[in-house]
Amino acid sequence: MITVLLVDDEELIRAGLRAIIDSEPDLSVVGEAGDGAEVGPMVARLRPDVVLMDVRMPAVDGIAATRHLLETFAEPPKVLVVTTFENDDYVYDALRVGASGFLLKRTRPDDIIKAIRLVATGDSLLFPAAIRALVAAHGSNKGNRGLAAAGLTEREAEVLRLMATGLSNGEIGEKLFVSLQTVKTHVGNVLAKLGARDRTQAVITAYESGFITPA
Amino acid sequence: MGVRAVLGPVGRETTYRRWVYLIIGGALLVPYVFLASTLVSVAGDRMPIGLIVALILLVMVAAIVVMSFIPAVRVIEGTAARELLGDAVPEHATRRVTSWPARWRTAAWAVLHLLVGGVVSGITLALPPAVVSSLAVPFTGSFYLGQASAPMPKGWAGAWIPALGVLGLLLLVHIVSWCGALFIRLAPVLLGPTPDDELAALRKRAEHLAERNRLARELHDSVGHALSIVTVQAAAARRVLAADPAFVDKALGAIEESARSALEDLDHVLGLLREDRAPTVPQWTLDDLPGLLDRTRIAGVAVESTVDGEVARLPAAVSREAYRIVQECLTNVLRHAGKVPVTVRLAVREAELALDMENPLEGADGSRPGGGRGLAGMRERVTVLRGQMSAGAQGGRWVVAVRIPLRSGMRDEELVAE
Repeated sequence: MITVLLVDDEELIRAGLRAIIDSEPDLSVVGEAGDGAEVGPMVARLRPDVVLMDVRMPAVDGIAATRHLLETFAEPPKVLVVTTFENDDYVYDALRVGASGFLLKRTRPDDIIKAIRLVATGDSLLFPAAIRALVAAHGSNKGNRGLAAAGLTEREAEVLRLMATGLSNGEIGEKLFVSLQTVKTHVGNVLAKLGARDRTQAVITAYESGFITPA
Repeated sequence: MGVRAVLGPVGRETTYRRWVYLIIGGALLVPYVFLASTLVSVAGDRMPIGLIVALILLVMVAAIVVMSFIPAVRVIEGTAARELLGDAVPEHATRRVTSWPARWRTAAWAVLHLLVGGVVSGITLALPPAVVSSLAVPFTGSFYLGQASAPMPKGWAGAWIPALGVLGLLLLVHIVSWCGALFIRLAPVLLGPTPDDELAALRKRAEHLAERNRLARELHDSVGHALSIVTVQAAAARRVLAADPAFVDKALGAIEESARSALEDLDHVLGLLREDRAPTVPQWTLDDLPGLLDRTRIAGVAVESTVDGEVARLPAAVSREAYRIVQECLTNVLRHAGKVPVTVRLAVREAELALDMENPLEGADGSRPGGGRGLAGMRERVTVLRGQMSAGAQGGRWVVAVRIPLRSGMRDEELVAE
């Protein structure tokens, strides 16, 4: 069972998302918060796997709340930022502070479900094309951010590139003719060497450092 | 270099366009020449020729300068320049200007155009007959120009004369091309926008952009929000259609409400966009009502007024139209009933704006009340705002009642705020 916490100041959005999520047998909404300020205590109490986080909220916005979660909890839930518009300036900020992905409020229910499952397992990157576009629009090449110094092996670099295209571990294994276990080891090494907490963070680092160009 | 550099301008279309522009300048110069020579010849007979020429030039330039101060003359001059010299002439050249620095620079351009054009036109008229005549020299041994003729070497010894003629033509083409280039160089300086013009245009553009961004933000916030609710609720309702009819019922209600409020917001934002076009006249609103009433009192009408509710919180469009309605009513009273006491009652209610005005019918001039353009204009304004209006005589009094619905309730503070 994947547990979900909904954070949105609009009650009608929460109600709609709850109905969609609860209609799946393996997903369950365990709580709702109307502002970023309520998120910390609720996560401590409910321990959800995934938090669906609105960006603009009256007191504490989704970016600050996401940052707080990742700094406070040793094993924080995965954060999916939920937004109205794709080119929202805040989306990229949210990804940079550690959100695992973002969802548009207009996303079809099936894709919302898929996205929650994907983020919960962390097996592949959510919406690789959208993330590439976001980096192209917002990301700056802020030096190499230690990527060269991270000392990725050639294989690990290859795995990172494939991660950025949105392939899952299994698909990467097929492409490189190695076992799933080997891929998992490579992915683990990449994350460790880049100091990234998940694929999204690793890929953003790769884009921002210029290791991959978001052309 | 070489042949291309020498013959290049001959084959270029732009050369001939430049030529036309210069010849137009020459043609325009003709009346000034006549004017100046007439004036100078009247003024003084026995002056040295140098002084006469200088005086003629001076009068000519002065007349050209004065003429080119006229904005319409600049438009014609600038349009001709842009059409014939090409897009290197700034678009600004074809616009009316009224600032004096710009007018002076236009005048400088016109003087240059007419004088240079005059010289080039003169050469253009004189040279071809001379060249034709020079072609005959090796055969006839004399150079004819009009009635006069000069003896010249015959045969091969005189062959350099037609060659010189052709060279002269070639030189003229180069002069024309070069003069055109000079004007193209000068155009941005003399006909382009001044730094002040550019600053003003920039400021205007910045304001326009800020306005656009504001509208985008408004759409983003209001319509985006409402449509998100619609999407999420509809998606959820479809998913639980069979399992949870109660949720579906609530969802449909939420969808209806959200869509309605999105439409209202769109109405307002689109209204702002439309207003964007003609905001040049001062936009009075009900906030300015005390001033209007004071002015009416000064005109000799005894006005008694009451205002209930917060006028400042009305949507801007409503407030503006209501002000005009009051204004037209007062004008009508003065026109039809004369200086009679008027009562104005204004009430901002939950869902409507109520405006009631009345005055006694008996007029100083005895003319018929009502009718006319004023009333039609008022009806039009009220209709645009989907309101209702009645106007007519009731027991010896003229009574006007206007009701304007406030469809969004009072949720549009931000819109009124600016």
